Amino acid sequence: MGFVDIALMAVIITVAVYLLYRSLWKKKGHCQGCGSCDCDEKINRTS
Amino acid sequence: MRAETDDLRFKISDFKKSEIANPQSEIRTITVAVAGNPNSGKSTLINAIAGTRLNVGNWPGVTVEKKTAIFDYEGVKIKLVDLPGTYSLSPYSQEEIIARDYLIQEKPDVIIDVVDSTNLERNLYLTMQLLELGIPVVIALNIYDEAEKKGFKFNTKLIEQMLGVKAIPTISTKNKGLDVLMKAVMEAASDTAQHTPKSINYGEDIESAAFVVESGIRNLYPTLANRYPLRWLAYKLMEGDEHISKEINLSGDGTFIEDAVRHLKLAHGSDIESLMADARYAKAAGLAREALTKPDTRKIELTEKIDRLVLNRFLGIPIFLAAMWLVFKLTFDFSKPFSDWIDEMINGPFKRWGEALLGFVNAPSWTVSLLTEGVIAGVGFVLVFVPVIFAMMFFITFLEGSGYMARAAFVMDRMMHAIGLHGKSFIPMLLGFGCNVPAIYATRTLENPRDKALTALLVPLMSCGARLPVYVLFVGVFFADHGGTVLWSLYVLGIALAVVMGMVFKRTLFKGEPPMFIMELPPYRMPSLKNLLIHTWEKGKHFLIKAGTYILAVSILIWFLLNLPWGVEHKKDSYLGRMGQVIAPAFEPLGFGNWEAASSLVSGLIAKEIVVGTMGEIYVEKKGEGAEDEKKESPTFIEDIKEIGTSFATAVKDSFVNVFSTFGFASISADEEEEDKEKGSTLKDVISTQFTPLSAYAFIAFVLLYMPCFVVAIAMKHEFGTWKWFGIAFAYQMALAWVVALVIYQGGKALGLG
Repeated sequence: MGFVDIALMAVIITVAVYLLYRSLWKKKGHCQGCGSCDCDEKINRTS
Repeated sequence: MRAETDDLRFKISDFKKSEIANPQSEIRTITVAVAGNPNSGKSTLINAIAGTRLNVGNWPGVTVEKKTAIFDYEGVKIKLVDLPGTYSLSPYSQEEIIARDYLIQEKPDVIIDVVDSTNLERNLYLTMQLLELGIPVVIALNIYDEAEKKGFKFNTKLIEQMLGVKAIPTISTKNKGLDVLMKAVMEAASDTAQHTPKSINYGEDIESAAFVVESGIRNLYPTLANRYPLRWLAYKLMEGDEHISKEINLSGDGTFIEDAVRHLKLAHGSDIESLMADARYAKAAGLAREALTKPDTRKIELTEKIDRLVLNRFLGIPIFLAAMWLVFKLTFDFSKPFSDWIDEMINGPFKRWGEALLGFVNAPSWTVSLLTEGVIAGVGFVLVFVPVIFAMMFFITFLEGSGYMARAAFVMDRMMHAIGLHGKSFIPMLLGFGCNVPAIYATRTLENPRDKALTALLVPLMSCGARLPVYVLFVGVFFADHGGTVLWSLYVLGIALAVVMGMVFKRTLFKGEPPMFIMELPPYRMPSLKNLLIHTWEKGKHFLIKAGTYILAVSILIWFLLNLPWGVEHKKDSYLGRMGQVIAPAFEPLGFGNWEAASSLVSGLIAKEIVVGTMGEIYVEKKGEGAEDEKKESPTFIEDIKEIGTSFATAVKDSFVNVFSTFGFASISADEEEEDKEKGSTLKDVISTQFTPLSAYAFIAFVLLYMPCFVVAIAMKHEFGTWKWFGIAFAYQMALAWVVALVIYQGGKALGLG
């Protein structure tokens, strides 16, 4: 396995972890659970 | 009523063409708030007007849904805001506070007051309060057709005369009257001075007191007079509205209010709030009496006839269980052909196209494995269950729209009392059948913190849509002939255990009497197909969003965990395999003590549907060199497209045949079904060798009950501000899942079922 393979893997893993962080932690699962993907912004604004 | 079905659409779409032609033209914006009682057809009306332009979100800081739409109508940009359905604008429930705060603070240009024509008097109570705000109102006399069927006759001119607002008959389910309604809205918005509602006179005593309070505010607090509708503010201060009092925080002398209400209290008692409510009801009743003529003979409504059965104390719960059984049977029968079709397409053409694309760009060989054994195996296996999710959401939405779900909550009220709750707690639990996350947030509607915490602890036992793919996978392999029944048994198991755990908690963590519960039962209605489809899409699309976000992410990470250390020969020696082997012995007594099942359950902590995705990745065979000999010639792109189309048509046909067979019509494709069973998918084939029917049922019972997913954990922390309740949920659910699966497996073996 060469440097390019390792770099590509690192990028893919980073993107996957970021997707997970964004959808589970940042949005607190709201997009998956409630009516719209914009609801968490409003909750953060007022809480 | 003349048909106006196409007029409104024509006006909206027609403008868009001229806007494209003249992009520089100035566009005026008006904000229209839509208010009304629950079940007045408000959502249907908004959907009919705004259609796909509707955006669904939440009001800030709460889980109450907020729908808005922005569209152009006759040269004007309209922002439509759907307020929560309320019976009044009192400060007692979240919905009422949201509606009231919006109207006071945002000051929309016009309010559409959606009134249920079949229940005019009760709906006019809210109308009275809306008129007090001094904002132009247009009344939509909705559900007009049903009122006419009952023989009701309305004098709309009299309503308009007495209230000083337009009253437009509408039938939102058939798009009738909407264009006239929008014209009236535009007229009201264009000349607010002429369309400000008449001041309602609640009697000399009240009006005199209000006049004194108004004058006091104007003189002593002129900024308040500019911020709030003065007469409305006067009424609120007379009623002693705490929410408003806290909000305006009168710093100076408030004795003018006391002086104003002193006479009222002497004459009518100290409860000014009840006095005002009585005055509003009296006005509403008086107007209804004048403007509405009902037929003399009172027929027993169909709704009442059905309710005699559905709400019967002995038949209510069996009917509810039967209704749920039918939902699951139809869901399973209708969706199975589509699920099989998606499975074939994902593992056939789509997989081939992905491999071809990666081959075309000379991507490294491990990326092909990541795509086929990671993404396609992981996300693909989850997408196979999209038809199941949408079918279930459709049928549940039908039950909600028909009015039956309100009866279910009413029927469950008695059972809920046994566990220290009341029927209102059943509503978040019903939401839990879709997804536990909004169900947790919906516990905000429960005023009592004890009820809220107890309901949140029991919500995870309501089997959510994410668990459905796991059930359907195993049911499809081991119990295909009784799929609907087995699915139903899982949901009933969840509800039964919720009752048991509720009783336990009632005697331990949550002692005390539940409060009274009053709820409205709307009349039965046939929901419109359009609304059904819109609501089904709104509920089901989140599953697709999940698949494209964190299920994709987890599938990629699971692939790496299954292939690291790099070059590992057997999956059980990978990081994930080693973790599974550590945990597997705990599941040995439950009948599934292998690392594959254990690893899948661990990944299910992120989200339950990932169990299926992980199993897909674990059990998918790596293509070895020997496989080259077995490789058949791949179809061309055109052949693939043809195959997609023809197999989809077959799936549609099979689906309807299955549904008809539910109702006793023999399936004409029984032979084809046998063929399909034999075909199966790779994962199903492997599952059939790794589990027995008994261990499969124990496994899916474990999935039903074990700890809520990570997203629910975050929702609980967010809602309660502490990890305490999630900790309790985690502990009791893991224990419950283990014990129940143990009882099923060991008990089944003892009975010779193993």
